[in-house]
Amino acid sequence: MEGIRYPKENTLYKKKEYTQIGQSKPRIDGVSKATGAGKYCGDLKFPNMLYGKMLTSPHAHAKILSIDTSEAEKIPGVIKVITHKDVPDLKYGISPARWDENVLCIDKVRFVGDKVAAVACVDEETCYKALKAIKVEYEVLPAVLDYRTAMNEDMPQIHEEYPRNINTEIHQLFGDVDKALEEAYHVRTDVFEGQRTYQCPIEPHSAISIWKDNKLTVYSSTQSVHYFQYYIAREFGLKMGDVRVIRPLVGGGFGGKLEPTGLEFNGAVLSRLTGRPVKMFYDRAEMFAHNRGRHQGHYEITTGVSKEGKILAAKANFVLDGGAYTSLGIATAYYAGGLLPLTYDFENYQFDLVRMYTNLPACGAQRGHGAPQPKYAFESHLDNVAEDLGIDPIEIRKRNARQANTNTCNGMGIQSCYLSEALDKIEEITDWKAKKEKGLPKGRGIGMATGSFVTGAGYPIYRNDYPSSSCMVRVNEDGTSATLYANAIDIGQGSDTVLCQMTAEAMGYRYENMKIVTGDTETAPLDFGAYSSRQTAYCGWACKRAGEEIKAKILETAGFMMHLPPEDLECEEGIIFSKSRPKVEPITFEEAAKKYFIIKGPLVGTGVYTVPRLGGYHKGAPVATSPSYSFCTQAAEVQVDEETGEIEVLHAWDVHDAGQIINPALMKGQVHGAFGMGFSETVMEEVVFNKDGKIINPDVGGYRIITALDMPNFTNDLIPSNDEPATPWGLKEIGEGSNNPTMGAVRNAIYDATGVNIATLPLSYEKVWRAIKEKKEKEQAAK
Amino acid sequence: MYLPDFDYYVPASVAEACQLLAENIDCAKVISGGTDLLPKMKHGLLSPQILVSIKKIPGLRKIEYVQGKGVVIGAASTINDIVFSEVVQQKYPSVSNAAHTMAANQVRHSGTVGGNLVSAVPSADMPPILMALNATATIEGPNGQRQLPVEDVFCGPSKCLLEKSEIITEIIIPDQAMTGSTYFKFALRRAGALAVVGVAAAVQVENDVIKDARVALGAVAPVPMRAKKTEEFLIGKKISDELLEEAGKIAASECKPITDFRASEEYRRDLVRIYTKRALRKAIDHGHI
Repeated sequence: MEGIRYPKENTLYKKKEYTQIGQSKPRIDGVSKATGAGKYCGDLKFPNMLYGKMLTSPHAHAKILSIDTSEAEKIPGVIKVITHKDVPDLKYGISPARWDENVLCIDKVRFVGDKVAAVACVDEETCYKALKAIKVEYEVLPAVLDYRTAMNEDMPQIHEEYPRNINTEIHQLFGDVDKALEEAYHVRTDVFEGQRTYQCPIEPHSAISIWKDNKLTVYSSTQSVHYFQYYIAREFGLKMGDVRVIRPLVGGGFGGKLEPTGLEFNGAVLSRLTGRPVKMFYDRAEMFAHNRGRHQGHYEITTGVSKEGKILAAKANFVLDGGAYTSLGIATAYYAGGLLPLTYDFENYQFDLVRMYTNLPACGAQRGHGAPQPKYAFESHLDNVAEDLGIDPIEIRKRNARQANTNTCNGMGIQSCYLSEALDKIEEITDWKAKKEKGLPKGRGIGMATGSFVTGAGYPIYRNDYPSSSCMVRVNEDGTSATLYANAIDIGQGSDTVLCQMTAEAMGYRYENMKIVTGDTETAPLDFGAYSSRQTAYCGWACKRAGEEIKAKILETAGFMMHLPPEDLECEEGIIFSKSRPKVEPITFEEAAKKYFIIKGPLVGTGVYTVPRLGGYHKGAPVATSPSYSFCTQAAEVQVDEETGEIEVLHAWDVHDAGQIINPALMKGQVHGAFGMGFSETVMEEVVFNKDGKIINPDVGGYRIITALDMPNFTNDLIPSNDEPATPWGLKEIGEGSNNPTMGAVRNAIYDATGVNIATLPLSYEKVWRAIKEKKEKEQAAK
Repeated sequence: MYLPDFDYYVPASVAEACQLLAENIDCAKVISGGTDLLPKMKHGLLSPQILVSIKKIPGLRKIEYVQGKGVVIGAASTINDIVFSEVVQQKYPSVSNAAHTMAANQVRHSGTVGGNLVSAVPSADMPPILMALNATATIEGPNGQRQLPVEDVFCGPSKCLLEKSEIITEIIIPDQAMTGSTYFKFALRRAGALAVVGVAAAVQVENDVIKDARVALGAVAPVPMRAKKTEEFLIGKKISDELLEEAGKIAASECKPITDFRASEEYRRDLVRIYTKRALRKAIDHGHI
């Protein structure tokens, strides 16, 4: 409404900030979760329901010679026992080129925990009795347990179709790396090694399958009802319309609940064969065995820099341990190198990677997907380079920082970007210069790193031409509430809350009057779900468009009611008023909505969002593309006990370029959680195997995740902006980029505190102790 | 992870409990807090058909000072009872603080001190400080009552010297000549973690000379152990940093740690050295803390 002058006394019009977004509205599911009233999949019960469990392999690699289920079938209460003969033999996985996993193993098992048989019984206790009574004869084969030697010619082959156990191979070259390295002032190579970590969400995986009258309904603890619907329908040759997937509350996913598991597939078969609902679930140890956590990798990074520290070329040479199956690992592999050129601008880049099969549980997507360990390697390496050149770590990053409206050498387009500002700010709020000049007390160190991540993957999780997100809003007949129907999945990150905030904002309505129905393929329209930090942006577009449609409809009705042209009307927080005539009595959203229903029927708005085509044309170009990227810097100040190696993070800082913030409290929660997770992965977490490939710490006592007591004081800061054109209101992701710099920042702080380099993650107290001890011994020998 | 079926008895007296245990000698177990027993049952490591709860027996959950006896802690007192006990906090804050290092709040609310002893977990947090303070356990069975020093309760990992029909009813911390005591726990995170090394030290200091010393180590031997060579070395010596460093070295050499996925033997030994030194210093300087 440019050009219209508004009388001052019109109290309803002021140049308002947003009324529904940008505010810490309480979580829409907060009370039900905090009081225990909310239901998770494991809480659900159905009449006549059976309990199901899977028998899994005790061997890392073995031929199945025979399976005898007869004894198990005799046990009272055992209703059905199934083996591979009872389930489809169609293999599944993320991409047609790598469908390599069976519902139940046919001829061999490939890791300790591989699926062999399944039972449905009247109760859980009987399930365990039945599992014990199934006799499986194995011929144990030599196993491949070390990904670094898995390629050797004398190694056993895990999958016939994949010679030398190579699951995925990537070779990308941009610019002229060799020439740039030759011309560089300084070239340095560092090697880092990651560890296997596991998402370990608080809620275990669980699924209830009900196959009745040719229709399959699956309740599941999932990050994507659509992906589950697609894969379950495909596995059983059903029409997608005959498969209904419902998500009850989900207690965390972090990437580990993105793909269907044996629970859904076997539960469906057991339900079909018994005609009864079947509930299947993992206990904590089974979750670890199923795994799909973070890949461990061997990361060799070489950069050539100018005297001033400008990166001229970078070479990334990685080997990943993929485990026994592909899972989501192809995407992981491409992400591992694809995201590295985001935060720093360089023209010449070579990325080589092999993802190996091993006889260990399959690895998949974990918060930050393939990026955190490579980023840790790169950020550690960059501090080493800065030290070689005598340049301050923040200064070298400033000299290479990504700028707005640029392209990366591997074809990613960046529009809004405030990384330089975030670097300035982290320097300021950490008091970096003073700490570097005056020095810190003994055993104290400070380190920092940068991060970035996709605001939604540019391409869908499986090949299709559907839009990325869609939604529908229906206003209640009397206008007193509006319900958002969306299949964006709230796994704890708060998408239900922010989507309702955004919808209310677009409608001119109130968040407090919003209801939401999500996670049901039969009720709400398609969304690919919660992964790649896409929900707020992608489903946000759909919500914005649906909300704007409602608003347009309601203003038209209000115009009729108020005898004013709709263009002159505005609706904010449920009040409809004239922009030019302050004396006209406003009416309420409720009044107009009710009138609309009386005249025209249901007041409904729909919204849809499709990502435009993005990225280059090289092999693997789609992975790491996104309409928008977040940027951030993080710093940590640590105290290391030089005698014991114990590490304490005293304080941590995060400066985020996350565009328009929809809900500041949830944003902070994401950043705190991400830092905690990153710190935990840097210092504590590791899935440990014995020499036979069995996990020895599959529980929350042995697999150490930091506790609240280990969490440092934290400062959240922002570079506020809303100029990102590719997202609704100029928002950017927050969930995964916030985990991208953490490992590097903590490692750099530990190095600053101790002067010791530790080559392998986690940087455990014992490794720090050993490294300090060896350093002292070396120093004494030199004297 | 499924808790198998069992019968559950709630006797009203120690005698009744002992009788129940004696009658079902091979298939009954005592349950108190259950924090150790129930996970073992869920994992199928133990499968008792009968659980005898001692939670409701009057008098087993009390903490008081008895003149001439010492601080008496009922065996069914929870770890948090000890953490928050005014008597313990007043007489031996070191015991209260040691209890506070254990596990996490939920476990401390449920787990009991008697259970922490009879479970005989090498890394348990209560035994070292109780051993350093020369505490004894009162044990009752069908044949009556006996006293056993806490350090003699254990005979191997998860093994203790109680008969199957006996239960610990109380732990007594006698009046002390010791002027200071403390427990240092090294764990790999700040809560919910087992001790990688636990060191308790108690000292009697007079005019800068150590008149008596008791050092007890957790998680570095099949059972919580006294570092007797370290104690002998310390007694009668004048306090100095060098002395404590040397004591740490002796403790490191006399402990018998193993390597597991939490820590190597070598690391544990060095931690014993460091924590013995630090624990002694703290007990010397700050009393029972």
